[in-house]
Order: sequence, then C-alpha cells, then structure tokens
Amino acid sequence: MLSFGQLVYNEWLKMSKKRSFLIAYAAILICIAAVGYLIVATAGDEMPTVLEFTSIIMAKNGVGVIVTIIAIIFTAGVVSKEHQLGTIKFLLIRAHSRSEILASKYVTVLLFTCSLIIFSAIIAATGGFIVFDHAAGDHIWQKIAQAALYQFIYTGIYVTLTFMFGVITRSSGATIGIGMTAVLLEGILSMLLSGYDFSKYLLFMNTDLSIYASSGPPIEGMTFSFSSVVAAAYVLLFLAASFVTFKKRDIA
Amino acid sequence: MSAYQNQQHAVMQLRNVTKLISGKKIVDQLSFDVYPGEIVGLLGPNGAGKTTTIRMIVGLMDMSEGDVFIQGKSIRSDFTKAIRNIGAIIENPEFYPYMTGYDNLKQYQRMSEGVTEERLKTVTELVGLQDAMNKKVRAYSLGMRQRLGIAQALLHNPSLLILDEPTNGLDPAGIREMREYLKRIANEAGISILVSSHLLAEMELMCSRVVVIQEGKYVTHRTLGEPVLQEQNISISIRVDDLDRARKAAANVEQVEVVQMLVESNELVLSLMDEQIPQVVAKLGSEQVQIYRITETKQSLEDEFLKWTGGNRIA
Ligand SMILES: Nc1ncnc2c1ncn2[C@@H]1O[C@H](COP(=O)(O)OP(=O)(O)OP(=O)(O)O)[C@@H](O)[C@H]1O
Ligand SMILES: [Mg+2]
Repeated sequence: MLSFGQLVYNEWLKMSKKRSFLIAYAAILICIAAVGYLIVATAGDEMPTVLEFTSIIMAKNGVGVIVTIIAIIFTAGVVSKEHQLGTIKFLLIRAHSRSEILASKYVTVLLFTCSLIIFSAIIAATGGFIVFDHAAGDHIWQKIAQAALYQFIYTGIYVTLTFMFGVITRSSGATIGIGMTAVLLEGILSMLLSGYDFSKYLLFMNTDLSIYASSGPPIEGMTFSFSSVVAAAYVLLFLAASFVTFKKRDIA
Repeated sequence: MSAYQNQQHAVMQLRNVTKLISGKKIVDQLSFDVYPGEIVGLLGPNGAGKTTTIRMIVGLMDMSEGDVFIQGKSIRSDFTKAIRNIGAIIENPEFYPYMTGYDNLKQYQRMSEGVTEERLKTVTELVGLQDAMNKKVRAYSLGMRQRLGIAQALLHNPSLLILDEPTNGLDPAGIREMREYLKRIANEAGISILVSSHLLAEMELMCSRVVVIQEGKYVTHRTLGEPVLQEQNISISIRVDDLDRARKAAANVEQVEVVQMLVESNELVLSLMDEQIPQVVAKLGSEQVQIYRITETKQSLEDEFLKWTGGNRIA
C-alpha cells in the first residue's frame, strides 16, 4: 500500500512539474471570474448569495465543461506521453506489475479531477464572499457538495473514456481529439436521439446525474439508479479495455 | 561444475527464448547463461535481434516460447521478483525532459524498496553527474543521458546489469571511462553485466565472453582473453626478395603450409607451428633468399566475427 502511494506520488509529480500545470487552474480562475462578472452585470437587484453563486459555478453549465476539458487534456498524456517520450521502458522494468502502474496512473487522474473541482469550489466561495451577500439559504452546503459530486462523476466518466483511448492509441494528440469530440457531441447526440428508446442505454444520456434533481429524466422512465448503473457499466468496460490492452502490449 | 550447480549459480538463464512477430522468428530458440561477476557480450550485426532479446528479458515484450530466469525466478510467472534483480538500459535512455536529473532519479528511487538518499548520491558520483543533477534533462547531452541511464540502472543494487549498446553516443574518452567502470562494477561489486553491441573491438576490451547471434539464432560463443594454445598453428608473413623461390623453399619444410602469396608486398603467408620457424628461416637462408621482415599475422576476432556472421549482411 505504501509503495502504491509512492507510485501515485510519482505520477502526480510528473503531471505537476509540467509548465502547463498551473495554466489548468488559471483557466478555471478566469472562467469563474467571467461568470461572476456576467452575473453582477446582468442581475440588477436580484443578486445571488455567496452559496447560491457557488452552486451555480459548480453545475455542469457553470464551470463543469471547462473542468472536464482540462481533465481530458491532462488525462490524454498520462499514458501516451510515456510511450512518446520512451520513458515507458524505465517505468515498466521496476518491481511493480503493469496493472499496478496503470492503476496508479488512473488514481492520479481522478485525484487531479478532484483537485480541479475542489479548487473551483474554493475560488467560487471566496470570490462570492467578496462580491455577494452572505445570507445563507436552506441546505445550501449540501447542495454544493452534491453539485460537486455530480460534477466529479460527470468529469470522471469522460476521464475514464479518455484514459482508455490514451492507452489504446498511445498518442496524446489523437486522444485529446477523441475526448473533446465526445464532450462536444454529447449535447447534440442526446438531443437528436432522445426520441428513440434505445438511446437511454447510450453513455451520453447517463453522464449528468444532476438532472434528476432539477429538470427531470431526459427520456420517460429513466431513473437516477438506472443512469448510475449504466454509467458504472461503461466505466468498468473502459477500465477493463485499458488494463487488458496495457498488460498485453509489447513495448517496441 | 556439474550442470546442476551451474543452474544454481547462474544469475540469468535464457531457455529457448523465441519471439514470433507476424509469422517471422525474430529470435529463435536462444539459450545461454550469465554467471556472477561476468561481463557477457551479446554480439550480432544490425537487425540480429539483440534489442528484441533484451526486451524479452526485461519483460517489455512477451516471449512466444521459452523463459528467462533471473536468480532462479521466472520473468514470465514471477515478474516482480525476477525483475528486481535487474537494472537495464534498452536502446537510448529516455527521461522526463522537463524534470531535473535528480527528480528523474527520485522517480526510480520511489519505485524500489530500500534505496537511500546515500545510495542515490553514490551512484551519481560513480557516473560523474553530481554537478549536473539540478539541470533539466532537456539540457543533457546524449552522453550525460547515457550516464544518467547507468545511474538509474544501478540505483536499486541489481545483481544483473543489462545494457543495450551503452557506448552509443559517447566520445572516445567517455567510452573508455564507461568501460572502466563497468569492469569495476563487475569486479568489485560482483554484478554480472550483459552488454549488446555490434562493435567487436569494444567487446574485446571489456567482455569475458561473447555470445554471437545472427538472424535471431545462436551462432557461437567465445571466451575472450584465453591464451593461444602452444600446439596450435600460427600464421606468419615473411617479406622476401623473390617470392617464387621463397615459396618453393618453404614448401619443402615439413608441416609448413603456404597460405597466401602477396605479390604487391612480396610477402609469403605461412601456417606453421612455432618450432618450425627456425627451420624455415634456415632453409630460406640456404637458398639465398633475402628476408626483410617476419611478422605474426593474428586473425582478429573481427575477422572471425565477419566469418561467423557472413560479413555485412543485415537480417
Ligand atoms: N515490433 C516489430 N515488428 C516487426 N519486426 C520487428 C519488430 N521489432 C523488431 N523487428 C525486427 O526484428 C529484427 C531484430 O531487431 P532488433 O532491434 O532486435 O535488432 P538489433 O540486433 O538490436 O539491431 P541493432 O544492432 O540495429 O540495434 C529486425 O529485423 C527488425 O526489423
Ligand atoms: Mg538494437
């Protein structure tokens, strides 16, 4: 367990020592500032409270898509860059199984995703504290936590998809392309296909669990637990494909 | 030593290692052993399958057949236990360019148990990189990366070092230095070393044994530095004034074989035993043949190598 922690730490360092690492957080900061400015400029008398502002930011339509895209960009490199740099040779000749190495990489991208979401929440709350009214509404902390959790699940699904393509293609460029396309197509596909019943089994229809608390199911008959099960099945499938491919691959 | 004891003592045993890629045998039934403290050269022309063999030994590639045992542990079925005894560089050493040499080594320190900060310092000093440790690897020359590669390979105290063309990219001074510390590592620490190369002269200076392969197949192996046996024929060349008369005279001496006549340099190449040299000289003298020079013509390992591998043919 200790040694697995060391592997994760290694992966985290490989990611965080890149110059682009801080840009990820800077982009989120700018996004939140922009949303905050828009709210101030357009809200008039109806200014939201700190906590309302935070929960707006934490929603998929707040900073959600940008968090997902940043997570995709970093996830895409986590396996493929080792191949591209050739560092995979030194990485795989240590006393660790390939599964362990890949698992440490997966855990690291999930941690990174977490850090992006927590960072957004902290920035939104501090920013909001300076600008907006401090009055708290009912159960608002719980709402924020819930929004963050749904956001984590949404981003985590795309991260897993991207992770798989990174393992399979070994090219970070191609993987970023595939990951971003998936996010961008989601909206269009779920609109176009929502008329067909089979579409409820598609991944796109089940990534955003927050809709059950707000706008309701995209297709009649879908429930929160149905979406959870479908999403979990896809995630397991992606992981299985990643691990099988990574274990079997000849490093040439 | 009996065969059984050999098995007990070998640091590494290759057994019928075979690699099939799309129906082609890149490596074919390769078997050999490496013993403690030994420097073994894996020799073969370009494309012979040296790198492929090494990739299989360290588990980067799956074997189609056969197995490799490191300290008795199978690479196929007991990978983590077997691999912890190996330090390796496969083709060019590649590091994270945006990290310093030190941060790169720390990565590998964290991946092995019991590697102290002290040890990390020792290996960087051994390869002479102590002043470059805080530089980004991006700014390293190939020679510096090669050294960092060696440091990385030695970090966890392996009992077997595997180096694929380790002198690639080093300058003559660097090559000599590398050779010296590889020898030192083998002698003092008792670490076995397997080096691949297609440069024979290189191997002659460093290895105690070479295994020659071609087109993925075992060709032969040679122990280097063995004294030439007295009763063996040697070959000498004699420069004379009259090649024809000299040939006739020399051929008259018993058990002397005329191998070659080099017309341009007026040299006669003979194959004979040591004690016949005075007889040949006396005979030539009595026939009034003028002798200008007598030299031993050693068939170098290089010539042998080319003979084994059929010259420059690339598989
Ligand atoms: N992944 C692969 N797919 C198909 N053929 C391969 C693959 N890898 C290597 N080969 C072939 O296997 C043969 C041996 O290659 P290898 O790299 O092991 O040779 P080598 O002895 O290391 O040569 P060099 O001295 O040039 O480094 C070559 O003919 C090469 O073309
Ligand atoms: Mg090679």
